[in-house]
Amino acid sequence: MAAITTGVHAVAAHHEAHDDYAVQLRRNRLGLWLFFISEAFLFGGLLATRFYLWGNTRAELDQTIGLVVTSVLLLSSVSMRLAETAMEKGNRQLFSIFILLTAFFGLVFLGGVVIFEWGLIPALYKGHLTPWGDKYGAVVFAMTGMHALHVVSGIVFIFIVWNLARKGHFSPARHWGVESCAIYWHYVDVVWIFFYPALYLIGNAVHLAH
Amino acid sequence: MAKQGYGFVVLIGVILAVLTVIEYYMALWHFGAALLLLVAALKAILVIYFFMHVSRLWKTEEEH
Repeated sequence: MAAITTGVHAVAAHHEAHDDYAVQLRRNRLGLWLFFISEAFLFGGLLATRFYLWGNTRAELDQTIGLVVTSVLLLSSVSMRLAETAMEKGNRQLFSIFILLTAFFGLVFLGGVVIFEWGLIPALYKGHLTPWGDKYGAVVFAMTGMHALHVVSGIVFIFIVWNLARKGHFSPARHWGVESCAIYWHYVDVVWIFFYPALYLIGNAVHLAH
Repeated sequence: MAKQGYGFVVLIGVILAVLTVIEYYMALWHFGAALLLLVAALKAILVIYFFMHVSRLWKTEEEH
């Protein structure tokens, strides 16, 4: 009788732990999405600034660079989703490959912006915009700068999650750390999905001689 | 939502790439801002729904 009672208690405790985790998971997801909504005001404000200051014009940016860095960021989103799928299927090796590939694509995107749009390494590429030059430079640097800051934090997040996974912290059933990192990375991608046309495609290009 | 396989993820990636190319050519052919932002919104919906699992917010049966 005592053994049966102990067994019942163990099952009840297991269900309680499961319920606690499920409740916590729902709260985590809700919290992350509320954070995204708050961030949307920041990026929305930057987009509004672009349309207010530029109207139907835009800075003359290199279209090829724009298309390449956008494609690289989209690729990083795909590889991040593949990493999450690998974790869901319990394939840790594939997870590591895809999540590191995501970080690599993120670094390539960052390099593209820093070298070719900001012109921070004149020996490689001489940029023609400055943050203080005019409304075009100010908006380009504000938008790409704020976005790049999120890319950098996303890359740091990726390396933390990769390291934790390497130490066996996640399982196919429970990997909120991986899921949150992936969702954050996709959010950074969603922001760029709107920034790309706003910066590179919409309006007539204005040639700026500096 | 059922768990997505690798192939499905790649398919969504291909659709996003095609939409990006369409967006690029729409800009070359001087389509308006509204249409370009519409394509961007479509891409964002694909990412939010299939990659960010927004529907998990109101589901309880899944763990992760």
